Amino acid sequence: MKTAIDIDLFQKDLSTNLQKREFLIKGILYSFAVISIAVTLGIVYILGKEAFLFFSGGEVSIIEFFTSGEWQPVIKKFGILPLLNSTLLTSFIAMVAAGPMGLFAAIYLSEYASDKFKSKIKPMLEILAGIPTIVYGYFALTFITPFLKNIFGYEVVDVYNTASAGIAIGILIFPMIASMSEDALSGVPSGIKQAAYGLGATKLEVSIGIVVPSAVSGIMAAFIIGLSRAVGETMIVALAAGAGSNFTFNPFRAAETMTGYIARISGGDIGYDTVDYNSIFAIGIFLFIITLILNIISQKIVQRYREIYD
Amino acid sequence: MKKILVLLFLLTSVSTVFAGGDKENSCADKPGAYSWILAESDDSILPSVNPLEVKGAITAAGSSTVYPLSERMIERFKNEGYSGNITLDSIGSGAGFERWAVQAESDISNASRPIKEKEVKAARGNGREPIEFRLGTDALAVVINPKNNFITNVTLQELAIIFGKAEKWSDVNSSWPNESIKRYIPGTDSGTFDYFVEEVFDKDKKPILSASNTQLSEDDNVLVRGVEGDKYAIGFFGFAYYAENSEKLNVLNIEGVEPGSATVDNATYPLARPIFMYCSANIMQEKPQVAAFIAYYLSYVNEEIGDVGYFPAAKAELNKAKKNWMKAMEGKL
Repeated sequence: MKTAIDIDLFQKDLSTNLQKREFLIKGILYSFAVISIAVTLGIVYILGKEAFLFFSGGEVSIIEFFTSGEWQPVIKKFGILPLLNSTLLTSFIAMVAAGPMGLFAAIYLSEYASDKFKSKIKPMLEILAGIPTIVYGYFALTFITPFLKNIFGYEVVDVYNTASAGIAIGILIFPMIASMSEDALSGVPSGIKQAAYGLGATKLEVSIGIVVPSAVSGIMAAFIIGLSRAVGETMIVALAAGAGSNFTFNPFRAAETMTGYIARISGGDIGYDTVDYNSIFAIGIFLFIITLILNIISQKIVQRYREIYD
Repeated sequence: MKKILVLLFLLTSVSTVFAGGDKENSCADKPGAYSWILAESDDSILPSVNPLEVKGAITAAGSSTVYPLSERMIERFKNEGYSGNITLDSIGSGAGFERWAVQAESDISNASRPIKEKEVKAARGNGREPIEFRLGTDALAVVINPKNNFITNVTLQELAIIFGKAEKWSDVNSSWPNESIKRYIPGTDSGTFDYFVEEVFDKDKKPILSASNTQLSEDDNVLVRGVEGDKYAIGFFGFAYYAENSEKLNVLNIEGVEPGSATVDNATYPLARPIFMYCSANIMQEKPQVAAFIAYYLSYVNEEIGDVGYFPAAKAELNKAKKNWMKAMEGKL
């Protein structure tokens, strides 16, 4: 009799202990999840606060910020267009370089390559993705720029130019686009492919006509995430794209991007509460909004165009 | 319960470690803090410093022009036995004073221009009365690409047009080529920029910052690389960087005067300026290692300065700096 009560008590004790432990673990996991949200909110708050100081200081109007073609805060010229223009220019060049290259590599990897080859090439892509961006920056400066100078002429291409920075960013985001597109392509069920083969389609027709359209949402998402990475890339443009704002569409000219400006100005550690200092937050929040919009678009595309199999 | 005990033990052990650190710091006020002073001095004014006996960390920040010289002196200081930690940041004179006078974070401010009135005020607000130490003289070098064969001499007036409103070289002088001027200039936070604007543009920043094809960088290597890579480029920076890169770049004569020790000494070269280090008496007394470093710096700077690419200060100026040091440490030695 006595032992039965003991066992009963023991079980009760065990279950409350278990409950306590479960509760604790849940709490710990929850707090980690909350940290990521809190950090994001903190960043948005700081960016917003400092950017508000920039616009409320009375020296800059939002209209001037978005319409003026000159950026030189030291002499009170606050037009973001030259910086925005060169950011878009480098990103566009990067996408022209990395988009087709990434997609074709993905098609080859998912449709043509043997498993053995694939198992060798995938880690190589990951190595490429793991190279620090400062290395790409010097690669652009000491390899791509002289290369461009040789092709297009010594006088035509500036030492610092958006083309070489753009190409380097392209190389940087290529593995990302390739591997994300490859995931999307491999996700296409083989039943669809088999059906196409059954109708007499060639391998190329299946790849281009069936697999790519079926995986278009994933590919688009990969492109847009690559683009938002290109917009935010800093070290490469800070080293290779130029260090003075310049409103030009010529990719062989030096033109500073938004991120490049932030890096250069904050590197000189300027005084707090000066217009220069606040200006980098205004640019920062603008950059944040651009990449946020790009990421939202990519999510919408994935939701909208996803082919649902099974 | 056991865990709580372990935790308590850890806490007490950590706090004793920190308390130990405090005790070490408070030692600095005792006479032992000056054990680095040697009995015999080979300097006529300053006591000689034994770097082996100097303890404690030193932070210095400021002009990118002073940076290579300070870097050299720190290297020598360490080679002779200083085992502490010196941080030296190259952030521009303005930012250096920001850190030293306004934030009161650094011990020493390096500058390529005298301290400004409002910086003096900010320093006093933090209980720091600035003391100036003249280190030497820097000359600005206006440099061009070696392939440039149409220009060897410029006047200050021409410089104002070249770095200002001119779009092409032919806008400055009709016999020069009809090509865009590519400008490479130090960033707006640097003393070099301030000095150039003061001398050439009469303190008006507008024209130089409005000029097209202008690259600004606090990193002089960015400028060297830019001028090196473009036949129609022109740039300026401290003479030391030109001295380091003299095989890649050509230097221009200003108003017919070639930059060099002779023309800087007799003050005929128009673009030469003094370089300084700033500290305050209370920092030097609270942190004897800072005083030791400055004394060491002033005693041996002339043995290194030429090698770094600058010009020694006039003897009277350097002696004044040494006397400033003695005055700051009065009653402590």
